[in-house]
Amino acid sequence: MKIQSSKNGQKSYSVIAAAETLGQQQFIKHQKRHKLYIFWSRIFLFVAFLALWQVSSNLGWIDKFYFSSPSDIGALFIHNIKDKSLLSHIGITLFESGVSFLLIILCSLVIATFFWFYPSLGKMFEPFLIVLNSLPKSALAPLIIVWLGTGLRTIILCGMSVGIFGCILNLYQSFSQTDPERLKLIETLGGTKMQAFTKVVFPGNIPTFISLSKVNIGLALVGVIIGEFLAGRRGLGYLIIYGSQVFKLDMVILSIVILCAIAMVIYGILNFIENHYKP
Amino acid sequence: MQGNHHHKSFLRLEHVSFSYYSALGEVAVLSDINFNVEKGSFVALVGPSGCGKSTILSLISGLLKPVGGFITFYSEDFCAPKVGYMLQHDHLLEWRDVYHNIMLGLEIQKTKTDENLAFVDELLEKYKLSDTKNKKPSALSGGMRQRIALIRTLATRPDLLLLDEPFSALDYQTRLRVSSDVRDIIKSEEKTAILVTHDISEAVSMADVVIVLTKPPCAIKDIIPIEFEKNGIDRSEIRTSKLFQEYFDMIWREMQDENTEL
Repeated sequence: MKIQSSKNGQKSYSVIAAAETLGQQQFIKHQKRHKLYIFWSRIFLFVAFLALWQVSSNLGWIDKFYFSSPSDIGALFIHNIKDKSLLSHIGITLFESGVSFLLIILCSLVIATFFWFYPSLGKMFEPFLIVLNSLPKSALAPLIIVWLGTGLRTIILCGMSVGIFGCILNLYQSFSQTDPERLKLIETLGGTKMQAFTKVVFPGNIPTFISLSKVNIGLALVGVIIGEFLAGRRGLGYLIIYGSQVFKLDMVILSIVILCAIAMVIYGILNFIENHYKP
Repeated sequence: MQGNHHHKSFLRLEHVSFSYYSALGEVAVLSDINFNVEKGSFVALVGPSGCGKSTILSLISGLLKPVGGFITFYSEDFCAPKVGYMLQHDHLLEWRDVYHNIMLGLEIQKTKTDENLAFVDELLEKYKLSDTKNKKPSALSGGMRQRIALIRTLATRPDLLLLDEPFSALDYQTRLRVSSDVRDIIKSEEKTAILVTHDISEAVSMADVVIVLTKPPCAIKDIIPIEFEKNGIDRSEIRTSKLFQEYFDMIWREMQDENTEL
C-alpha cells in the first residue's frame, strides 16, 4: 500500500490502494454477496407468502370467500384488464392524485413565498395553519361533499386537504431558516429582496422542495382514496368500497395490491429524482 | 505604498455614534468614532469581541444609518463609492460552480457586460484560479473558497473593500497564507480596504494603519501607523521581525487595559 502511494502521488493514494489490495477486494466481494443475499431473501419472502396464501385457501385452511387467493386475484386482474374497466379506474385515481399533488405544491409555493416576503402575514396565519394541519383531514371530507357535491372537484380537494397545510408550514419554515448571512451577502452586493429570493432562498430550498414532494405525493393519494370512498363513482377507492359492500373481496384486494404497486412506482421515481439532483 | 497616493483622504468618520434598541432599553454600541481612511490604504480595526467593530462596517456600507455624526466619502467624480464586502464565511452558493458564484454580484447589479466578463477572466488568470472555474465550491479548500469570495467581490469593481473577519473560519496555517494573498491582491488592485478582526497579528501583518477600539460603547483608543517598509523590512519577513513583535505587544497591552477595566 505504501509503495503504491509513493509511486502515484498523494491524491491517488486512497483510490489506487483501495482497488488493488487483497483485503479490499475481499471486502467488496463480501459486501456484494451480502446485498445479493438480502435481495433474494426479499423475493423469497414475497413468493413464500403468496404460496402459503394460495395453498391455505386451496386446502380450505382459510375461507376463500373472505380471503380470496392469489390465483383468483390474478384471474380477476387479467379479466378486468381485458374488458378495460380496470385501467380507467387506475387512470382516474392517478389523474386525481396527480392534480391534487400539483395543486398542493403550487399553492404551497405561492403562499410560502408570500409569507417570506411579508413575514407578518406568515406570523398571522401560522397558528391557524398549525391547527388545520393537526386536524384529522378525513373529518373535512363530508363537509367538502356537502359544499361541492360528489364530483371530481370534491375528490381533488380531499386529496389536497391532507397535505397542503403541512406543506405550506414546512416550506415557509424552510424559507425563513435561510442563513441571514447569505441574505446579507445579497444586500451587500446591492440586491433587492426579490433577488435575495430568486438567487438564494429558492435555489437553496430545492432539496426541501423535493423531500416535501416525496411526502405529499403519498398524502395526495391518501386524500384521493378517502375522497373516492365517500364521493367517488370511479377509481380504486370506489372499487374498494363497492367491492366490500357486495362482498367481492378479490376486487377489494386487487385494488389494494394495485395501490401498493402505484405507491412503489411513485416512490421509485421520486428517489431517482432526489438522487440525480446534485446541488 | 502610501506615498504613491499623496495621503489623499478617501473616507472620514466624524463623531459617529450608533445604538440599537431592545425591549430592555437602548444599547449604545458606538460613541464618538473619528477616523480617516486614505485612498489606497489598508486600515485594520481591532478590539475586544462584541465591541461593535462590524457595526462600523455596516454603517460605512450604508446597511445601517448612524444615530449621530457624519460619514463622508471624498471622490473626484462626485459619485457614491461602490462598496464590496467580504464576510466571515465565504457563502459560496453550493448549487453554482465557481464561475457562476463569481458572477453573482454582476448578475445582481445587472452589469454582465463584455468588459466585466473579460475583467473576471483576467482576475482568475492573474491569481491562478482559472482551473477552478467549473468546479463546485464543495470541491475546494477553505482557503481557496475565501480567495474565490474575494474575486466575487472584486468583480463588481468596488472602490472600497470591507473585510469583516474574513479569515476567522480558516485554520491557522491557511489563515496565514490566505491573509497574505488577500493583502497582495488588494494592494495590486490598488483598492482601499478596511479589515475588522480580533486577531492582533493578522491586523499588524496586513494593515497600514491599526485602529484599536475600546470595549462597548466602542470608541477609538489609539491609531497606530504600521511602518515596515519605512523601516526597511521586506514584506516576506515581517512576521519574524522585531518590529512586528513590538507592534503586537503595544496593541496587546492596550487591549489588556480594556479587558481589566471590564
